[in-house]
Amino acid sequence: MSIVPKETIEVISQSIGVNNLSPDVLPALAADVEYRIREIMQEAIKCMRHSKRTTLSTDDVDAALSLRGVEPIYGFASGDPLRFKRAAGHKDLFYIEEKDVEFKDVIEAPLPKAPLDTAVVAHWLAVEGVQPAIPENPPPEALAMPSDNRKTEYKEDGVPVDIKVPVKHVLSRELQLYYDKITELTVNRSNPLLFKEALRSLATDSGIHPLVPYFTYFVSDEVARNLNNFPLLFALMRLVWSLLQNTQIHIEPYLHQLMPSIVTCIVAKRLGNRLSDNHWELRDFSAKLVALICKRYGRVYHNLQPRVTRTLLHAFLDPTKALPQHYGAIQGLAALGPGVVRLLVLPNLEIYLQLLEPEMQLEKQKNEMKRLEAWRVYGALMSAAGLCIYERFKFLPVSLSPSTRTFLKSKWKVSTTLSSKRKASLDNMMTQPPAKRLMTDGPTRSMSANSLPVGTQGPAVGHETGVSSAPHGLQHNENMLRASGRREMAGGQGKTSVALDQAWKEDLDAARLLPSLFECFGERMFSFTPSPELSFFL
Amino acid sequence: MDEEEIEKAVVAYLKKKGFKQTELAFQEEQQHSNNNNSANSQIDPDITKKILSFSQFETGPERYQEEYSKLRSWAYSSLDLYKHELLRVLYPVFIHCFMELVARGHIQEARAFFNSYREDHEMTHLRDLQKLEGVLSPSHLEEMEFAHSIRLSKVNIKMCQYSYDLLLQYLHKTESITMLGIINERINFQVSPGQPGSISDDAEVVTLVASGHDASLINQKEVHWGLLEDSLEERLEKAGGSVPDSEKLDGDPKEGEVEENKKSVEGGKQGASLKKLKKDKVGVATGKSSRTEGSTVATAPRVKPELALPAIPSEVEHSILEDLRNRVQLSNAALPSVSFYTFVNTHNGLNCASISHDGSLVAGGFSDSSLKVWDMAKLGQQTGPSFLQGETDSPTNEHVLGSSGGRRCYTLFQGHSGPVYSASFSPYGDFLLSSSSDSTIRLWSTKLNANLVCYKGHNYPVWDVQFSPVGHYFASSSHDRTARIWSIDRIQPLRIMAGHLSDVDCVQWHANCNYIATGSSDKTVRLWDVQSGECVRIFIGHRSMILSLAMSPDGRYMASGDEDGTVMMWDLSSGRCITPLVGHSSCVWSLAFSGEGSLLASGSADCTVKLWDVTTSTKAPLKDENKSGSNNRLRSLKTLPTKATPVYALRFSRRNLLFAAGAFSKSA
Repeated sequence: MSIVPKETIEVISQSIGVNNLSPDVLPALAADVEYRIREIMQEAIKCMRHSKRTTLSTDDVDAALSLRGVEPIYGFASGDPLRFKRAAGHKDLFYIEEKDVEFKDVIEAPLPKAPLDTAVVAHWLAVEGVQPAIPENPPPEALAMPSDNRKTEYKEDGVPVDIKVPVKHVLSRELQLYYDKITELTVNRSNPLLFKEALRSLATDSGIHPLVPYFTYFVSDEVARNLNNFPLLFALMRLVWSLLQNTQIHIEPYLHQLMPSIVTCIVAKRLGNRLSDNHWELRDFSAKLVALICKRYGRVYHNLQPRVTRTLLHAFLDPTKALPQHYGAIQGLAALGPGVVRLLVLPNLEIYLQLLEPEMQLEKQKNEMKRLEAWRVYGALMSAAGLCIYERFKFLPVSLSPSTRTFLKSKWKVSTTLSSKRKASLDNMMTQPPAKRLMTDGPTRSMSANSLPVGTQGPAVGHETGVSSAPHGLQHNENMLRASGRREMAGGQGKTSVALDQAWKEDLDAARLLPSLFECFGERMFSFTPSPELSFFL
Repeated sequence: MDEEEIEKAVVAYLKKKGFKQTELAFQEEQQHSNNNNSANSQIDPDITKKILSFSQFETGPERYQEEYSKLRSWAYSSLDLYKHELLRVLYPVFIHCFMELVARGHIQEARAFFNSYREDHEMTHLRDLQKLEGVLSPSHLEEMEFAHSIRLSKVNIKMCQYSYDLLLQYLHKTESITMLGIINERINFQVSPGQPGSISDDAEVVTLVASGHDASLINQKEVHWGLLEDSLEERLEKAGGSVPDSEKLDGDPKEGEVEENKKSVEGGKQGASLKKLKKDKVGVATGKSSRTEGSTVATAPRVKPELALPAIPSEVEHSILEDLRNRVQLSNAALPSVSFYTFVNTHNGLNCASISHDGSLVAGGFSDSSLKVWDMAKLGQQTGPSFLQGETDSPTNEHVLGSSGGRRCYTLFQGHSGPVYSASFSPYGDFLLSSSSDSTIRLWSTKLNANLVCYKGHNYPVWDVQFSPVGHYFASSSHDRTARIWSIDRIQPLRIMAGHLSDVDCVQWHANCNYIATGSSDKTVRLWDVQSGECVRIFIGHRSMILSLAMSPDGRYMASGDEDGTVMMWDLSSGRCITPLVGHSSCVWSLAFSGEGSLLASGSADCTVKLWDVTTSTKAPLKDENKSGSNNRLRSLKTLPTKATPVYALRFSRRNLLFAAGAFSKSA
């Protein structure tokens, strides 16, 4: 009659050493055990309710036990409710899974992060009975449930029609006012201070998500209509920038509408109608915008960056386009990262510079405006290439330096023990005339590192694994080295273009690129290389 | 096993019963059995014991009293879940005990028995008791139709299996043969498997409790539900000068009388403050709204305070009056704004939350015995918009912490030695009370950030504590089944309210401070007179433990919320439920009436705040008391879901801004 079977009592009594329990006692004890359990659970549930919880925890049971003057059960304390598992094959048998924990793992595990302290944050759950659409509140889709009623009505007819109720977008009065105010400020810019505030609000306000489609439309519309209004264009781009900064809004679905406007601001033929308009700055800014978008949403929209780069590359490679357009395209590509520059700009650098050169020279281009533009483009190209090379250098490991020194020691001999692609190509780099200047310097420095064997041994060990795993690559590399060395004998110009042409190849890297770029830009290039590396060339 | 004793007992029994022939036959048989002892020795020892004890118990009428009282105390101390089923047995046992006593001619004992336990059943069976009271001799039992019919028929009682087992176990264990006899003879158990039925599910109980007998004695007592005369609201109206005096006399004639007597006295007393207010009147541009809302409050009759009320500091009074003047008028068309205070990173440790009357302070009671108070006015500046991200990625949250200079942004009150179950701010926000499972209540000063007093009186965890609407006094409720009234300057309770059959889970003051309401695990709500300590109303109807209570500002209605998510609206004067408000799917942790009483807000474990329309529903019963509750069902005006935050506390500020608080729980 009790939910506690007699057998259980028997087992428990035996487990505590009472063996000769008379069978008459068992049912009486079972009934009492059940009563006590019920009593404890009743108190535990009260404790749970007063702790404002809906799941019973071990703390509640402990509290109930102490209420009844019973010692609590130790060893089950936990912040979370216990997870019971159903025993396979039994309908109502549950158990708590206990995992074996390696002592070693526990000791070696890093200290867990300190739990965050309790805090209180305030937000508006409702304003005059209407829930504002802010991230602290549940999304509005969840709120708009009532449309379900209509669906069921149709279902009653027996025809399973799934009718989608047209989404009615209701903008609250406050949001409408906000939109009007922001757009007005953007168009007029009567008060720069206020406009700055507006931009900040756009970047931080969490409740403006419903306005995003309106803003994107506004931007694309205004850009299309006001290509010669430079200040407005700039203001619009800053508005977009602010929107992108806002972490609370969901702008992805509207990017396709925004991108053309931004790209227009990069590569348009004319931006603004006055000479004083600094359209270069706008192009730079827009380029940064594009880069930001590609970086943030590139993963979601896998074809986003390819499309943008194609557009930009097209503008860059079209000789009929105006120089400002080229400038924008270069800036856009540069902003997308050194990888893009290496892949797309450098291979075309040689030819492009040949085209550009006449434009830059005083004798050949009489129009000062045009010349200025050419120099701008030249500058953009240079910084793009420079940043690219800088980036490559940064990837070179620090261990480069000692090995370089050993190269210098070994007086141009390519030692097979010390081979990795990078070092090999470094060797190549050493052949450059400016590097020679450093030669006198090198030995003395490595002397300070004392013994020669140590100097050679260290890096050799470090790269042994790489060597043994790829002996073929090594061989190939050496061949290449020889080849390029030979070509070098043949003369400078040819080698440069080869290097640039090969820029997209992985195995050709910074060290080889630098000299080629040096050919193109002269010493200005050095300002982009990090000083330790540069020291080898000076 | 003494055979002779048994024989003697049997003979004595037969003699007593006057079974002469049987006696003779027995004696004859005895002669026989003496000859062959073997037969006799086979008598079960158990049976002999029974026979012996039976002869013992048969002796006197006092057995009835004794056993009944034992059964009664056992039933009252049984498990809450089964208690109501076991208590159901008591009434039939009681009247049959009484009638049996009468039938045997023990009239004196019968009367004493009847009077000592009569109170238990008055509430539900008053009419029957009044009828039976007149039974004075065995012949009456025969004559009286009612008694006769009772004695002839068996009572049907529905019970779940476990209650039935418990009852039988008890009767056998204690050898309450008399009770067992009555129960076997008079009660027909309908044992159903599974869970016990709800207290009001049972049709029988419903008819007993609700229909014929709801004119129970307790609920007939007079309740002066009106507001305190000379309340601040009233002063405001007077200052506004917009309410005709006649309107105030709308209440019961009796209460009106009190009112008029008072008025002459009050004139002089109030003169000074009135003048002061009149000066303010010029600046009352918002007077329009306060005037209209004032009228609803004004319809409530005025009553005298039974307690000595503390004086309000004039500057505090001033600011309150200012608030009342600026109060937003709420109705079913004008819903309030809700400011939500979310506790984050509580790690399941937050037991209760409380918000001060102006919403500037928020207190949280934690299971680690600590009490923390946040000053929202100071916190306001650094509240980042990114708290939800903080839950998912910690860097932002650490940043928020960093901005506050790594220091705590709350005041930590330590002193309790057990989970803090409740906290309550004084009306002016300068004191804070907390109650804990260590059975103490502590008074803290929010100005000094220190513990002032520790009140020890309860013997078990104190579930709830509430400051009175005027401050100074407070009420507490505990696991020890009592509610107590205290004043902050005494460490002993002023009144102890005992009567609930189980834990008193929540307590709430009436607007006029003359009554407190308590909700209990015995599924009833009671209203107590503070001055006399008597229970003046019992509200039956909830199907589970009561978790929250709220009193309407006009003092006429009370709302109570239970574990199942049902909210019930009660009329204090009639003690009847106006209408149940169904909508929540889980525990209703908190209830609050808006400042002028037109809206009721309820906060629940289902992560929603619901707003209910009070005016439309309560207007109807004013005109027509007989109307059933179904027609004037309270309308649910709005459901405001939170993201994943059960709502622990609600508070309407004096200006009718609704504050809510809860702990963000990822799993919910």
